[in-house]
Amino acid sequence: MSHDRARTDGPVPALELRGVSKRYGPVVACDAVDLTVQRGEVHGLLGENGAGKSTLMKVLMGLVHADAGEIHRDGARVQVHTPLEAAELGLGMVHQHFSLIEPLTVWENVALGEPGRIDREAICADVEAVGARYGLAIDPTATVERLSAGERQRVEVIKALRRDPKVLILDEPTSVLTIAESAALFEVLRTAVAAEGRGVILISHKLAEITAATDVVSVLRRGRLAFHCRTADTSAPELARQMVGRDVSLRSEGAALGLVVTDDPAKHLTPVLAGGLDAVPAEPPAPEAPADVPGTAALALHGLCVAGPDGRTLLDSLDLEVATGEIVALYGVEGNGQATLGDLLSGLMAPDAGEVRVDGRPVSLDRPGALHEAGVGVIPEDRHRSGVVLDMSVADNLVMTDLRRFSGRLLMRRAQIRAQAEELVERFAIRTPSIDAPLRTLSGGNQQRVVLARELSAEPTVLVAAQPTHGLDVGAIEDMYARLREAAASGVAVLLISTELEEVMALASRIAVISSGRITGILDVADASPQRLGMLVGGEAA
Amino acid sequence: MWLDDGGTVLASALRLTAPLAFAACGEYLAERAGTLNISVEGMMLSGAFGAVAVGSATGSPTVGLFAGAVVGLLVALVHANLSHRIQINTFVVGLVINTLVLGLTSFLLQTMEFSRTQVGMLRIPGLAEIPLLGVLFEQRWPFYLLLLVVPLTWFLVNRTRWGLELRAVGENPQAADVSGIKVNVRRRQALMWCGLMSGLGGAFLSVGLVGSFNSNMTAGRGFIVIAAVIFGAWRLKGTLLGCFLFGAADALRLALPSLGVELNPQLLVAAPYLLALAVMVLMAKSQREPRALSKPFERGLV
Repeated sequence: MSHDRARTDGPVPALELRGVSKRYGPVVACDAVDLTVQRGEVHGLLGENGAGKSTLMKVLMGLVHADAGEIHRDGARVQVHTPLEAAELGLGMVHQHFSLIEPLTVWENVALGEPGRIDREAICADVEAVGARYGLAIDPTATVERLSAGERQRVEVIKALRRDPKVLILDEPTSVLTIAESAALFEVLRTAVAAEGRGVILISHKLAEITAATDVVSVLRRGRLAFHCRTADTSAPELARQMVGRDVSLRSEGAALGLVVTDDPAKHLTPVLAGGLDAVPAEPPAPEAPADVPGTAALALHGLCVAGPDGRTLLDSLDLEVATGEIVALYGVEGNGQATLGDLLSGLMAPDAGEVRVDGRPVSLDRPGALHEAGVGVIPEDRHRSGVVLDMSVADNLVMTDLRRFSGRLLMRRAQIRAQAEELVERFAIRTPSIDAPLRTLSGGNQQRVVLARELSAEPTVLVAAQPTHGLDVGAIEDMYARLREAAASGVAVLLISTELEEVMALASRIAVISSGRITGILDVADASPQRLGMLVGGEAA
Repeated sequence: MWLDDGGTVLASALRLTAPLAFAACGEYLAERAGTLNISVEGMMLSGAFGAVAVGSATGSPTVGLFAGAVVGLLVALVHANLSHRIQINTFVVGLVINTLVLGLTSFLLQTMEFSRTQVGMLRIPGLAEIPLLGVLFEQRWPFYLLLLVVPLTWFLVNRTRWGLELRAVGENPQAADVSGIKVNVRRRQALMWCGLMSGLGGAFLSVGLVGSFNSNMTAGRGFIVIAAVIFGAWRLKGTLLGCFLFGAADALRLALPSLGVELNPQLLVAAPYLLALAVMVLMAKSQREPRALSKPFERGLV
């Protein structure tokens, strides 16, 4: 492969992608992407949702087959048809979601996806050996569903490292981790890279993480490689500009990208993560419509307890109040009870104990629709699962929660529905070909606007927004922020459930931190710093 | 006196349990891989028919017995490819197969002539003399195949890599997929085992217990098998216990008139199914159901 060597001026890269393209029907997910990963180097891959990062990695792992392009391992061209072949070529991946099977034990999960006989003793010993080498202690016989998010991540990392990969790919590895857990993970990575000479691809949309933990960075934008540079030679604002494709200066936009924090969260991790972050200067959070009457809260949660089907505590006597015109954020790492609270406030489940009051009046949670009638609007966490019906029209989706208003005893009042839909499409600037178009044809941001428009059109007292910007692009995030502020200013009590530090800092006037189903502290945004929040997230009092 | 009656009822219960137990080994494995296979009924019925047809044609009920298993496997091949290759809803496929097998076997029964064909008894001397439990050691010989099939099924599911992958596929196909397991291949393979075992169960019913085939002779035993898997909360031991419970209810139904208890015969016929219904209501809250049971898997954009 001497001619390959001649092409590059450095040593033969551990992994090289040349002109990899993949399209799904008319959608181009990856467009002639080149990527080079050297041994002993952390390569950051940055991009918005839908920029093609995941598709590119699926091509590498043999889960998706590229339409064009070549993959080279140590200078030799290779074909990757299955994950098994990828593993044999020394490619290992830590997946963001969907890779552990909860009812199985740790060692069974680690053994999955390999050929040959299974030797329980040998695998358990391996798990312990790898754990000891990298400081990732775990009981190989534990059942995965009993483990915390951080421990599950450990299992994923052990599973990948046990196969001794030459190139390790991590897809958004810190999205479910606390700051301390993230720091520990990067420590492990540093060992794998510096001491053992592996190459690492770190996929992230968090700028702070990329600038602090990588040696080289590539930015993907709409399937194309937009930018490539040594991390030391670039800056966070430059990367943000490359990621979005234009200058980023607005405060909410910066927050959406993880730029605007009063302090750099990475600095508090470990020296490993310490890196410069010349963020756009943060404007002090404007005092959004101060809570006018703190007397009766618009939304009051008292002593909410929920136990899961397996007896685990999901919510542990949770207390929280949101006043009229106020945005209160519930911040925490994914999987600490936020989803349960969201389901509860959507009326999908009843608590084992505790009560919910809206405007001071208790709401009977056993009756479906009671919360909606009491004036609670919800933007659900997963809009495809519980927010909208993708194959129904925009108009139908816009009136769905309030059909009684739009129907007679037997028949729907079509004209009234259409009038309402036209008005909402206009008012919320929903970009759709027509109100009869199936919702599926709209972009994610516009689908989310449909949900927001529907919930606000019912003139709620309380709006619960669970991860309202998940999966949206920067423009749509900015719009969502503006509309949530507007809603609060018009007197709605907004409860924002979010896992994004920058988002809660940018929007909320008070931040409540949830950890293992408990509120571990409530801070005014002026007193909140990433360190204090980080400690609360980890379950310690600040 | 009651000991004799007890022995008779127990013997009958064991005989009636065996076809269920064979099929249950298959259904248990298929469900652990995520297929709630309702065509187990059609697999049993076609196995019963195939066994008698081949047994009578070759003159060897033993050849017939294994032919029955193969016929069950062929039905499974059809089901597996329709539901886990071209992704037709598994219940629609199952309904069609059950109806088709019932109609086809009834039709063939009318147009063909079969001679009587039945496998021999195997009596284990000494042990068969034990009061009450002696019936265990005096059965048609394929009954003892259970001693092979049951541990083998357990071993396959719980000790082999193949079984680990089956369980993974039944719990979380997306995760199994990214780990490099061919989800739909595993599900098709699990159905093959189910077809083989159900065919054997049906064949045991016809060439083992009865010696001939009659129209709809499984009479919903396949559905009883599904109930037994639910009763056993997707564990093999519990599933087999469920099979015995239903077998015993069936035996009791047959024995009651001769014991002098008078009951409406229609009600008696319905009794095992009523029991199945009650069991399913009781076990509905069980948390051990494979999480991806009857959820089809297609690799998507996600």
